[in-house]
Amino acid sequence: MLRRSPAKIWRSRDILYRLKYATCKSCGKAFYPPRARCVYCGSQDVEYRYSSGRGVVKEYTILYQTPSGFGDLSPLIIGLVELEEGFSMLAQIVDVEPDKITPGMRVEAVLRRLVVDGSTGLIYYGIKFAPAEGMR
Amino acid sequence: MKSFIAASGVIKIDRYYEKNLKTLAREALESIEKSYAEDLVPDTLIISSMTPELVDYQSSIADLIADHLGLRKIRVYRVEAGEASGLAAVQLAYSLTTSKASKRVLVIGVDKGSEMSVSRMAGVYGSIKDSEYMQLQGITPLAEAAILAKLYMKKYNYSYEDLFIWPYTMHQNSLETSHAQLRFRISPDSYKDSPVLAEPLRLLDSYPLGDGAAALYIVSEDAIERSSDAIVSIEGFGGSVDSKDIASREDPLLFRSVRESWEEALSMAGIERRKIKYIEIHDNYTPNAFIILESMGLAERGEAPERLENSSIEGVHVNLSGGLKARGNPWGATGIYQIHEVFQALLGSFKSSILGEIEYGAVHNMNGTGDSSYVIILKRVR
Repeated sequence: MLRRSPAKIWRSRDILYRLKYATCKSCGKAFYPPRARCVYCGSQDVEYRYSSGRGVVKEYTILYQTPSGFGDLSPLIIGLVELEEGFSMLAQIVDVEPDKITPGMRVEAVLRRLVVDGSTGLIYYGIKFAPAEGMR
Repeated sequence: MKSFIAASGVIKIDRYYEKNLKTLAREALESIEKSYAEDLVPDTLIISSMTPELVDYQSSIADLIADHLGLRKIRVYRVEAGEASGLAAVQLAYSLTTSKASKRVLVIGVDKGSEMSVSRMAGVYGSIKDSEYMQLQGITPLAEAAILAKLYMKKYNYSYEDLFIWPYTMHQNSLETSHAQLRFRISPDSYKDSPVLAEPLRLLDSYPLGDGAAALYIVSEDAIERSSDAIVSIEGFGGSVDSKDIASREDPLLFRSVRESWEEALSMAGIERRKIKYIEIHDNYTPNAFIILESMGLAERGEAPERLENSSIEGVHVNLSGGLKARGNPWGATGIYQIHEVFQALLGSFKSSILGEIEYGAVHNMNGTGDSSYVIILKRVR
């Protein structure tokens, strides 16, 4: 199913490895992944920044029915994470037992293996979130 | 100018290992031919299908199916708008017939959801999300729906057991739906004991993977004069989008695409919402059903589970087919099944013991977690 080209992953490096997000200069809201127009007010007056990667878990689920390719990491903990820059994103939560996660828990971005492409052997990496220093 | 639905036909949604996309499409067409008195003479064929490239390595599905059906001198299109492809296709048929570009359009929705293992199909379904973001994280619409369920339960103070009313009602409704994939009752115990897919959501909060094909014959006002059976018109439609991920929505518990497409369709039809007595909504996951009803204004925010009674809410019968939970969700075909159900109900041939004679019905077809929505309002005109 994956069969993604190395070029595609390279193109996506700003959102996969660096948490590039957008801030709207018109309404002041931030969003991820970055788009050319503000997702809240439609303004084109947006600027792009890089997140600190620090945030809190607002909600999460444990996903058992995972797509093929994620089997050895299953189940996945999927969190709705609010970053300190004011935007929210969905990402995997790692290095913590599910029963230790509580909404409001502080987390920070870590670079981890996302998935191995079964057809080409390419290993894709990206941002996940782990409990912040002092929370582990 | 108006556009009319002259005939419809469906096959039972099921797992058809022995049948390919072409065979399923042909059987849907044959289902129309059995019930329709006149010869079908379409000048246009629209195929609504979400996954032929991913499941069957098959692109160019529209002319392939036209060839298989023996259709010649016909314009073909393929519409792909994820799970909402069906209603997008019907809206295209409307535009072609009202603009006089076409007189008679055959719309066939077809998809094979049970072709591969569950994990492969979870990946196929997950392909509706951004391939540079959510797909690489393994985050599917199911995971989003599970987070929505938790947010919903927390905000409005519901337990997981409180959500049971939706799947229970859907499975009751499908008992008398001959084309439904699942036709059995469920109990609170079978609900709570079904496998967890993404906590808190369980198997019975999701839809079954299945293969399906459904067809509509849509004609222009010029063509209806020669068609004594065409008595249902497309009165209004709407469509809208929202952010692809629930994280970048101001209020994740409101589906903006639903609200906007619903209001647009009502405005185009020029009717009060109360005139609509029956609606089929795209309830791919239990929490989404409640959010859809509330986004349409059929219940106050947070009240849909309490207001639903005998599959009716605010005087509207909802998902008498059994919905996606029990009738099934063969993706690109789902919207065509929904139109078939409401069309047949308006003719008095579907769920008439519950509905009696009705003048208006509506269909809501959605992609993912409200990523996009389409609404169509139908009216019995004679």
